[in-house]
Amino acid sequence: MPDLLAALNQTQLEEQQAELQISTGKSVNVPSDNPVAAALLVENNDQATFTSGYLQSVSVVQDQLATASSTLGSITSALQQALSLGVEAGGGTLAASDLAGIANQLQGIQSQLVSLANTAYQGNYVFAGTKTSTAPFVVDAAAPDGSGVIYVGNADVNDVSIGSGYKIAVNVPGSQLFLAPGNSVFLAINNLIQAVQTNTGIGTAVNAVSAASSYLSAETVFYGNATDQTQSQTTYLNAAKLQISQQQNTLGAVDMAAAASNLTQAQTDSQAALAAIGKLSQNNLFDYLT
Amino acid sequence: MSGLFGSLSIALSGLSVSQQEMATTSNNVANASTPGYTREVTDIAAGDPIELGSLSLGTGVVLQKIESLRDPILQIQMNQATQQNSAFDASQTQMQQIQTQFASSTSGIGADISNFFNSLQQLSPDPSSLTLRQGVLTAANTMATDFNTAASSLQTQRSNIDLSVAQSVSQVNSLTAQIAGVDQQISALQSTNQAPGTLVDTQNNLILQLSGLIDVQVIPTDQGITLATSNGTALVSGSQSFALTTQETGGVQHIMAGAQDITSSLTGGSLAGLIQIRDQEIPSISGSLDQLAAGLANNLNAANAEGTDLENPPQPGGNIFATPKAGGVGAAATMTVTMTDPSLIAASSDGTTGSNGNLANLSAVATQPLGNEQTQTPIDFYSNLVSQVGSSTANTSADADSSSLILQQLQDENGSISGVSLNEEAANLIQYQTAYQAAAHVVSTVNLLLLDAVNLGMDEAES
Repeated sequence: MPDLLAALNQTQLEEQQAELQISTGKSVNVPSDNPVAAALLVENNDQATFTSGYLQSVSVVQDQLATASSTLGSITSALQQALSLGVEAGGGTLAASDLAGIANQLQGIQSQLVSLANTAYQGNYVFAGTKTSTAPFVVDAAAPDGSGVIYVGNADVNDVSIGSGYKIAVNVPGSQLFLAPGNSVFLAINNLIQAVQTNTGIGTAVNAVSAASSYLSAETVFYGNATDQTQSQTTYLNAAKLQISQQQNTLGAVDMAAAASNLTQAQTDSQAALAAIGKLSQNNLFDYLT
Repeated sequence: MSGLFGSLSIALSGLSVSQQEMATTSNNVANASTPGYTREVTDIAAGDPIELGSLSLGTGVVLQKIESLRDPILQIQMNQATQQNSAFDASQTQMQQIQTQFASSTSGIGADISNFFNSLQQLSPDPSSLTLRQGVLTAANTMATDFNTAASSLQTQRSNIDLSVAQSVSQVNSLTAQIAGVDQQISALQSTNQAPGTLVDTQNNLILQLSGLIDVQVIPTDQGITLATSNGTALVSGSQSFALTTQETGGVQHIMAGAQDITSSLTGGSLAGLIQIRDQEIPSISGSLDQLAAGLANNLNAANAEGTDLENPPQPGGNIFATPKAGGVGAAATMTVTMTDPSLIAASSDGTTGSNGNLANLSAVATQPLGNEQTQTPIDFYSNLVSQVGSSTANTSADADSSSLILQQLQDENGSISGVSLNEEAANLIQYQTAYQAAAHVVSTVNLLLLDAVNLGMDEAES
């Protein structure tokens, strides 16, 4: 009898265990179920959290890069327009009043450029280095370098991790983009305006704008590259996420077929033990004494 | 002794012995389910014969003794197995409770650590965002709260175990007093050459109960039994029992035998299991949580100090967490986020609000050694702790299962020797009944013969 009761307890424990596994879908419900797997599941959850986190960061970074990139596209168009105007002004056939009109248009483009260079994404100026809280380009006719603007941002770059041990720079400082010595966009435009206004050296000024525009196009490649990196990293992270989730299943998910079979087995065993106890002969010789 | 009266006397001895045998059988049947009862058997022998010349005449039957069938070696083994099993059982129950705190990989301290460092990662592309900064502080608070909860649950469990220890000690004292009392009765019977019989069963049963609580060795002596713990502390000596006392030492009840602290020398019984968890397992797990909490708090505070916050002008980063005590004692229970203003997180490395340079230092805490002689990263340290708790629980469970099997086997064995078999008793009863009937028949026959003998003269006188 005590043996049968012990067996009944044992089968009922197995039954509970199988039921728990089936109801939770987990094979590791407490660390003692599988201490190694329990520890690995902690690491696995850490990786899953970070992979999802990196995917979120990548998405934010992509939006930031897209804003910068499209702004630079607009700036390039504006420069092309300025170039056309410069070529027209340099033709030598225009009247002074026409030149003054072109100079006015060029001043409009200059304002547009300043405005574009001061583009903000969600309140942060994208071309201000890390000094993102203030507009980086301030119009000042007396700017020492003759560009007509003063840069009040800084030359710092932020790195963002988009994977474990994988960092990318997410910005190029405005000073490097628009005020690079020898390729300063603002200086070239300012010089072109003055050349048109004075009708002297327009050709040289046009060439300078052209050179600055080419330089800027080359710098724009940074954003393209960074965007490419984030895209391939997104693909990688999604694959990793899937793998981590598969690993989690391998470690901690219950094999439903096995668990169901265990449950059936435990139930059968339990029934058998119960039946045995029920049928255990309660008779003894005393019953037959008359 | 020959002659009819001799026969009558012999038949009477048969009646009397059969009655005593039936009484023994009745007692066995009545105690068939009494815990600790060992079945009794009668030992009968033929009476000393009378020599008449070359004749040897029997004198009937004598009941020599009523004997309890027990195996002393088996008793000792059962006591030892009970001590082992109770210790493992007690440990197992406590470990099962402890490990529930480490059961989930997607919530609790491990997940909190992951979530906290992820909140720093989310801040990194937009370091001046107050919403994201608040996310970091919220994650830090969740982490600190879960450390507090885990530490206090362990402490509560330890206090509960401590209560059980004190209760068990008073149970031990009650049992040893009873055992000594029974021993006195046994000695009294033995001094008058009477068999102690079922009193020994009572005593053995009490010793078995005592074995469930504490490791105890039985040493039979001329003056009754002596009970001592395995390190030699006497609990019972004959009819005298020695009460254990408890004394608070280091916040927990220590078990004292007189002036001697025997707490750490107990090796069996539920007390040994409880003390093992109270004095070894829980302090070890709490210590690990403290080291983890202290390492995180210190390292994150240090990393925050390397950068500057959002204030104007920017200030060097202050503490995120309350500084843990040196050595980290109690760090998990007292982990607190003291920073309430999210703008004070020092994300910047160049003094501007847009810089995320110092977030790299804060994030690096996740991948750097915990410090204070711990070479693992925070999450590795935690997952290792989970594995340790799991292994410890699994091992205790396995020990409890196997020791329970051993105990079960010994109990079965003991049952087959000392247990009452109703079939056997019924068969004996038939035998004794028949013997009684036969003896009664002899008495009645002798009676008739005696009547004949008495009437012999009368008939002759009449005729």
